[in-house]
Amino acid sequence: MLDVQNIRKTFNAGTANEVRSLQGINLKIEEGSFVVVIGSNGSGKSTLLNAVAGGFYVDEGRIDIDGHDVTRWPEHQRASLVGRVFQNPFSGTAPHLSIAENLALASRRGKVRGLTPALGGGLRQQMLDTVKTLGMGLESRLDNAIGSLSGGQRQALTLLMATWLKPRMLLLDEHTAALDPRSAEQVIRITDRIVARDRLTTMMVTHSMQQAVTYGDRLVMLHRGKIIQDFSGAEKRRLRPEDLLARFEEVRRADLLDVSAAELLRRRYV
Amino acid sequence: MSLVLSALTIGIILSLLALGVLISFRIFTFPDMTAEGTVTLGAAVSAALIVHGYNPAVATAIAVLAGAAAGAVTGILHTRFKINGLLSGILVMTALYSINLHIMGRSNIPMMSVATFVTWAGELGAATGLGETVRFLGRPVPVNDLAVLTVTLLFVVAVAVALLAFFRTHLGTAMRATGDNPQMIRALGASDGNMITAGLALSNGLVALAGALLAQYQGFADVQMGIGMLVWGLASVIIGEALIGTGKLGHLLAGAIFGSVLFRLLVAVALRWGLDPNDLKLITAGFVFLALVSPGLIKKLRLRTPTEARHA
Repeated sequence: MLDVQNIRKTFNAGTANEVRSLQGINLKIEEGSFVVVIGSNGSGKSTLLNAVAGGFYVDEGRIDIDGHDVTRWPEHQRASLVGRVFQNPFSGTAPHLSIAENLALASRRGKVRGLTPALGGGLRQQMLDTVKTLGMGLESRLDNAIGSLSGGQRQALTLLMATWLKPRMLLLDEHTAALDPRSAEQVIRITDRIVARDRLTTMMVTHSMQQAVTYGDRLVMLHRGKIIQDFSGAEKRRLRPEDLLARFEEVRRADLLDVSAAELLRRRYV
Repeated sequence: MSLVLSALTIGIILSLLALGVLISFRIFTFPDMTAEGTVTLGAAVSAALIVHGYNPAVATAIAVLAGAAAGAVTGILHTRFKINGLLSGILVMTALYSINLHIMGRSNIPMMSVATFVTWAGELGAATGLGETVRFLGRPVPVNDLAVLTVTLLFVVAVAVALLAFFRTHLGTAMRATGDNPQMIRALGASDGNMITAGLALSNGLVALAGALLAQYQGFADVQMGIGMLVWGLASVIIGEALIGTGKLGHLLAGAIFGSVLFRLLVAVALRWGLDPNDLKLITAGFVFLALVSPGLIKKLRLRTPTEARHA
């Protein structure tokens, strides 16, 4: 479904702020797979997701989604294949539009938007039914502006919008990180339910170790723009948060060693 | 009475300008200076065509298309060439000044001796068989002026209803969402750049329509007539928001129309009372300044009052 081949991305190349975000990433995701992506700050996990979504073009490498080479597709064109939920609950919805209008926009993701009424036809009944499944009581507030809702409610609706038309690839970018613990729990449960129901091919970035071990059937760990671990199958199921924390600590020590070893060599030879 | 009718009619015509400004300013939060040039462009194109014998309706339609094209150019400068929005508008506005002079061939085209939409409306009025004047509130009112007012009002209401319907379609909803959250609209598969460009085309089409009708109503097109129009439109939008509120799209559209008419009436009264016309733009700018800062000031005052009450 997703085939990422040796992609590289450097931001602010040639300046003091140069950041080598992605340094040769290869990742193949099978149809129906739910992949969790973790990594420390600056490891490139969100950048990887953004590269797939088309937020920027990669410097090198190639990205295929569902058999299409999308490497040079702009973001809005990739949206026909990709559904997204962002970290910031404000990013995924238009605050001044009503819940119904936002859902209507999602009902045309990647399609031509013509001059037919946005809220016409049987869409409204479908909205009532679908919004009811969230269990948040939002079905009675379809005509309220989305800006009046809480972050958790907005994020749950964004999730509905991203999956309203079944996406070939669902990208979740730390979509519970900005929520209070209760809402985060609610949103992650809804996520799991929708992904399982529609068997969506999913990539979820998270920095909750608990989420990383509980959800998904594969776990990829990034460090300094590279994939350093890839657990799947029974190995993934056996993982506990402590295992991941231990692995992070290992990586951190290796980094320190690199620096001190380099210093040692510099003093001796330079 | 004629003065009031004239102020009302101009207010209604300029409400098309206010609707255009509403789209660029409020829906796309894009301060579009192009409007200053497209008012004149609409006037210039329609006047030049009408004096060359074109049907006023055809001339006005072409003026609208010309305005939409100018708006699209601003949109392309901004979205494709990544030029700052304000500067894109200023560039097109400046270029339009020369273009308008070329279209008109001189700085002013009088249309006193040719048929315009005003002539048609007058004929409609005469066909009602009411005679030269009717009495309203005990005063004589010229039927001709009344007919022009009615026709303009009906036309503007029709445009506003069409706009409202448009903004409720899939395309129109996507446009509104673009102004609200461009990131989201990209993630849902629409190019925000194209939406902004289309929105500016729509906005400037309306502004050019206002210019075309204004020129026909006044009986002349002048190359200077666009100056200050953007602030004028903004003032109308702000008055409308204060009067009718910002809750629903229909309220915004209706507010822009009422705001424009009321503002024109206020200006007519002020001029009648001896306001120097040269001060008009200064006062308009001052008014918009006050309207823009006062919500913040009022909030500050409200926040302060309870604290002071506690101290007292």
